[in-house]
Amino acid sequence: MMTMNPRENLASLINSAKSASDIPSKLEPLRQLKRGLIQQHDLALVSESLSLLSDRFGPVRKFVTEMIGEIGLKHFEFLPEIVPVLITVLSDATPAVARQAITCGIELFRSILEKVAIQGLYSSELDSSLKSSWSWVLTLKEKIYSVAFQTGSGGTRLLALKFVEAVILLYTPDPNGSSEPPPHDGKFAKFNISWLRGGHPILNVGDLSIEASQRLGLLLDQLRFPTVKSLSNSMIVVLINSLSTIAKQRPAFYGRILPVLLGLDPSSSVVNGMRVSAAKHALKNAFLTCLKCTHSGAAPWRDRLIGALRDMEGGGLTNQAIPEVCKINGSLGEGKEDSPVIKEEKPTIKSCDVLDVNLGSKRAGVPDSSDLAEDENVPGKRVRPTPIASEELTRESEKNNTMSQDDVSSIGPTTSRGDGDNGPVQQLVAMFGALVAQGEKAVGSLEILISSISADLLAEVVMANMRHLPPNHLKGEGGEESLLNMTIVGSDSKAKYPPSFVADVLSLSSTFPPIASLLNAHWSESNDIVQKPCDEKEDVVAEADSVLACDGLDHGSENALLPTDLPASSVVSSGMEKGCFPISSDIHDVGDLESEIPGLDSSAHTDGLSETLVTSSMASTDLEEASQEQVTSLGQSTLKLLPSMSTDKSEELSPKAAVTDVSSLVSSTATSVGLSSNFVLPKMSAPVVYLDDEQKDYLQKMAFIRIVEAYRQVAVAGGSQVRFSLLAYLGVEFPSELDPWKLLQKHILEDYMGHEGHELTLHVLYRLYGEQAEDRDFFSSTTAASEYENFLLTVAETLRDSFPPSDKSLSRLLDEAPDLPKSVLKLLEDMCSPGNCDKAEELQSGDRVTQGLSAVWRLIMLRPSIRDACLKVALQSAVHHLEEVRMKAIRLVANKLYPISSIAKQIEDFAKETLLSVISGDATERTDAEGSVTEMQKDSYLEKPVDEHPSVSVNSKDISSDTHQSSTCQSVSSLSVSEVQRCMSLYFALCTKKHSLFRQIFIIYKSTSKTAVHRQIPILVRTMGSSSDLLEIISDPPSGSKNLLMQVLHTLTDGTIPSSELLFTIRKLYDSKLKDIEILIPVLPFLPKDEVKLIFPNVVNLPLDKFQAALARLLQGSSHSGPVLTPAEVLIAIHGIDPDKDEIPLKKVTDACNACFEQRQIFTQQVLAKVLNQLVEQIPLPLLFMRTVLQAIGAFPALVEFIMEILSRLVSKEIWKYPKLWVGFLKCALLTKPQSFGVLLKLPPAQLESALTRTAALKAPLIAHASQPNIRSSLPRSVLVVLGLAPESQTSNPAQTGVAPDSQNSSQVQTSQAQTSQAQTGDTGNSDKEVVTEKSKESSGAS
Amino acid sequence: MKFRYAMVCSSNQNRSMEAHSLLKKQGFDVSSYGTGAHVKLPGPSLREPNVYDFGTPYKHMFEDLRRKDPELYKRNGILPMLKRNSSVKLAPQRWQENAADGSFDVVFAFEEKVFDMVVEDLHSRDHALMKTVLVINLEVKDNHEEAAIGARLTLDLCQEIEAAESWEDSIDDIIATFEKQQRRKLLYSISFY
Repeated sequence: MMTMNPRENLASLINSAKSASDIPSKLEPLRQLKRGLIQQHDLALVSESLSLLSDRFGPVRKFVTEMIGEIGLKHFEFLPEIVPVLITVLSDATPAVARQAITCGIELFRSILEKVAIQGLYSSELDSSLKSSWSWVLTLKEKIYSVAFQTGSGGTRLLALKFVEAVILLYTPDPNGSSEPPPHDGKFAKFNISWLRGGHPILNVGDLSIEASQRLGLLLDQLRFPTVKSLSNSMIVVLINSLSTIAKQRPAFYGRILPVLLGLDPSSSVVNGMRVSAAKHALKNAFLTCLKCTHSGAAPWRDRLIGALRDMEGGGLTNQAIPEVCKINGSLGEGKEDSPVIKEEKPTIKSCDVLDVNLGSKRAGVPDSSDLAEDENVPGKRVRPTPIASEELTRESEKNNTMSQDDVSSIGPTTSRGDGDNGPVQQLVAMFGALVAQGEKAVGSLEILISSISADLLAEVVMANMRHLPPNHLKGEGGEESLLNMTIVGSDSKAKYPPSFVADVLSLSSTFPPIASLLNAHWSESNDIVQKPCDEKEDVVAEADSVLACDGLDHGSENALLPTDLPASSVVSSGMEKGCFPISSDIHDVGDLESEIPGLDSSAHTDGLSETLVTSSMASTDLEEASQEQVTSLGQSTLKLLPSMSTDKSEELSPKAAVTDVSSLVSSTATSVGLSSNFVLPKMSAPVVYLDDEQKDYLQKMAFIRIVEAYRQVAVAGGSQVRFSLLAYLGVEFPSELDPWKLLQKHILEDYMGHEGHELTLHVLYRLYGEQAEDRDFFSSTTAASEYENFLLTVAETLRDSFPPSDKSLSRLLDEAPDLPKSVLKLLEDMCSPGNCDKAEELQSGDRVTQGLSAVWRLIMLRPSIRDACLKVALQSAVHHLEEVRMKAIRLVANKLYPISSIAKQIEDFAKETLLSVISGDATERTDAEGSVTEMQKDSYLEKPVDEHPSVSVNSKDISSDTHQSSTCQSVSSLSVSEVQRCMSLYFALCTKKHSLFRQIFIIYKSTSKTAVHRQIPILVRTMGSSSDLLEIISDPPSGSKNLLMQVLHTLTDGTIPSSELLFTIRKLYDSKLKDIEILIPVLPFLPKDEVKLIFPNVVNLPLDKFQAALARLLQGSSHSGPVLTPAEVLIAIHGIDPDKDEIPLKKVTDACNACFEQRQIFTQQVLAKVLNQLVEQIPLPLLFMRTVLQAIGAFPALVEFIMEILSRLVSKEIWKYPKLWVGFLKCALLTKPQSFGVLLKLPPAQLESALTRTAALKAPLIAHASQPNIRSSLPRSVLVVLGLAPESQTSNPAQTGVAPDSQNSSQVQTSQAQTSQAQTGDTGNSDKEVVTEKSKESSGAS
Repeated sequence: MKFRYAMVCSSNQNRSMEAHSLLKKQGFDVSSYGTGAHVKLPGPSLREPNVYDFGTPYKHMFEDLRRKDPELYKRNGILPMLKRNSSVKLAPQRWQENAADGSFDVVFAFEEKVFDMVVEDLHSRDHALMKTVLVINLEVKDNHEEAAIGARLTLDLCQEIEAAESWEDSIDDIIATFEKQQRRKLLYSISFY
């Protein structure tokens, strides 16, 4: 390669690039080619390589474009070849290639322009090749212009606009750049058109400026309505950025650019809402950039910029922006401080230290004595309301040619605002200002003026002037206090100052009740003035003098107003002496010092501060005050900003610059009058004491403590709110090792009520919460969060522990705190569920539970976001193991929370789950215990709860997971009744609110602890009453729940009259599903008699105890309707039962009878008699009739007479035809002998015989009885035959008469025999087995 | 991948590095920077952050914090983050000092303040290359979760930009589409190198 001819080598590279097929393999030779071509000086090769521009790949074309651009930069003589190519490339289809052409264009243009300019500076003729290159790049420029301003070329246009910006910047002088042209062929950092001074062969500065101005106009037109409508958003952003760049770098254009930018309303310019933000943001940044610009041209725009920014951001941003500006200015000041000497030599550093730099510029501009002469003209104009400053600006701009009318018009509005209020006083003020500004020369005129106006008017002038005092100056008392504070710092060393100096300080400080910071500001300003004499004695001394004189005037009147200030001020001065002590010796030198003034350093420190003051006072006056203020503020701002301009030595740009400078200086002094010697205080050093960190911390802490402890005074003064905010804010700002929170907490908790602890706590919490929510970065927010939590928790815990439960502070705090972290909820939980924590002593305090629960309730009501968590707390408390706690919580949950529809479901689910948790463990146990009888049934039922269980737990998992767990583990071990009750209570409570829930209890009933349920039922059911839901449950009770149902029914009917619906439901249930008479028992008293009689057999069929209960109910009846059945009816009904037909065991019936007989006070003799009377009439006779008769005799022996009558009726009814009853009859007869003998004897002889055979025991006594003569006589013979009292033969007739006396005789004997035989019956009874067994049974049943 | 990307947040730790890491994995030519004065990491309290200079290797920070309180910094995710970062590049870099790194085509900022600083910084540089650079602000909260989401979105957006023939022509559409899809506001600006 090296041996090869470089030219051939490059040619081959071109070929290989052409022939390669893909982009990378094309680019590689091209890179080598580029290196080669730049070194080589070969036009032919270059033009050959241009052919590559027709390559089909965009990247290749782009690269070639870039390459020829660089070649052009290196060898400008090729430009006539290259530029036409670039122009064609401009319209390349690929935007990137076209953009590359523009990029090259910018570089080429800049480079050639610089070459042309430099060459023209040092010779009157230019190279012809350079000339032709220049004309070519001009052509290129025009082409790019056309791209920039034609519509719709998209991305290429962005760069073309940038090109326009570059040209404008190149064509206009750079105020920050050096205006001295570099030495011939020398290196220069940045080209500046102001190097050209005229007489350049080609370039005419004026023409260039005109072109730049026109182009700028075109750029601005783009952003004007309606063109702006058609622009894309990116275009707008680029335009705004470009314009703000131009404005920043060429402040002269402020007046043209800003009106357009300010008038640009991005929201109206872009239809699509989405796009607004980008343009708006760009605009905002542009404004901020412009605002930060310290150039004089920018000054008049400040207000409008701030206003616009304020509109954009609603105020917040501007507040940031202004200090920011000040900060920047301040930092510039600091920069200057670093190199005071350099500053003297090269006043290029932008500075805001007005007078100081003015000195520099003055020195630079010493030859311009004519400017000083101008000075004299000023006062006359000054008196006129039109601000001179703007006029000067206008003049300047006219001269400049580059500025169009835009300027005037744009300044117009600012000044016109000021034209409004021109009272004579204001005019006088202006006049004074102007005279004072003139310095010594005007002293005479001043005196004349003062003497010629009336005292009143003069007073008004002074008063009007006082408006310019910064507002806080007028606070006499506050000032005094701070004075006293200062004396504490105060010093031993007295003045090392010249006495006059001290006097000045004194008098001035008497004018201004001094506040340290302000003093600093004044000090620095005055320092400058003091400094002046050494630099420029003649005029400036005079000036300073006059200013002081004027000042004297001012504070003369001030003294009159505030005479008390004087003694105080002397104190101040000593304070201040102390402040400046370290440098006081230096200041002593002020009189004759040279350039290196150590005092200057300190003044630089305070520059930023004074700036702040100036800016703020400016802002306030500008907005509110009338015309003259407008003048001063305008002047002031010019004053402040002019130095940068004057130090530019921009005479070329504007020969009048110096004039403006001076006039502004004048206006500055005028201003100083306006602001009543704000600027004229003698130099003093700031009382700056440097503290090490420890001392700072200590100071901070002391300050904090002081604010904390000043609560009483602050409260009296009505500043509590401020104090709260202050403390909260400081707390966040303080370094954590000072632990401000602990201090605050201590204060708050010392006396929560007295120290307005609630309010203060909330302030702190909100501050911390804000810090946390601001979310600047994740660590500051997490720290804030933990501090928040800690603070809230500490206060809450103390409140809980130190206040009685009835106190509402804690609840209120929790209500109003911005957020409740978990730990606070835990605190609540511990309160609501004591014993979960291990503090035993809390167990007693039920009131705490109430307190906690009511807090939880409020939170649930007030804070939907943590509702779930609070609900969980309440629910856990509702299953607490202590009944007292549980009941409180249940009351809350059921009465207050459950009615809230949004959480009802959760509560329900939770209650259900705890309820089910009881059976899940219990069920298995019961199955074992109860054995297999119920197992079959159970299986089918268990399925249901098992199915339900998981679904429920899914629903309410979040709430109940913990509790559920705890309860299930407990349920694994045997569940005590109380434990079951613990889990059920809540559910029962809910049932009273929602009756349909009750069904679940029926469902689980069979598998849970009956006792626990039964214990709850009466209260529950009584509360519920027979509601429709309950009736529905009753109408279809789950099987296995009969006992429960019974209890429910009992409760429902206990003491009250059941509703007809209930009766109906129960009847229906009995008729349809549950054929169990038991369920009817509770309502038996309320059923109609017919029905009862109908079902009575079933009642009898019940187990004895239940029958007895039912019997009682029947007989008792309901209170209003009386008994359903009378005792007699009952007995008759019992006897009406036919065991075979009714399928009721006889045993049951006899038992029922026995049960009746047991209640003798109910089933009395009369009742029995009545019953027997009726029964005996029945046909057929009831089966148990004789048995009942026997029982009746047993129970009531007095009934025997009555029974005899019954028996005789039976005889007449031929009782012997009923074999069973016949046995009973005989037995009865035996039992009731001897009374029954009469009845027996009435039996027909056959029956009598059978009776006597059956019951042998009767025979002897009966014979004895019949043997009595009177009886025997009445007996028929046949009977006597049977009795053996008459012979067989006579049986037919005579027996009836003959036997009787015998039997009467023998009856005596027989009676005695009967006695014995009765005793013997037990022994002899076995002869009749039936009777004996019957009897023994009876006795056992009766016992 | 035809463009060079830069991811910028304030400390070049979380958001920018998350995006850097992700884009790097996807094969993008990507760098990352911070605009803050220092690299700040959470400390034991709000007022005691760990402050490092830019250029301090991530590994060094990792060791330093692990020595100080391994438990704390592990819990708040700092150590894992530093570990991840050290696998992406050596040390945090400062945006304002990146002139030597050449020009980027697309710069992502993850906070408006950072965006402003980038735009202003680009504004104040010499516009010598006359090369457009797209600066996009995607607001992302400074925590691990949001950073991951932000990185994801950034990747999406980068892929969109890559897919366009010339973003200068289509950026408005790309931004609008993204805003509509993600319901997030974007800011963008166009500057020049």
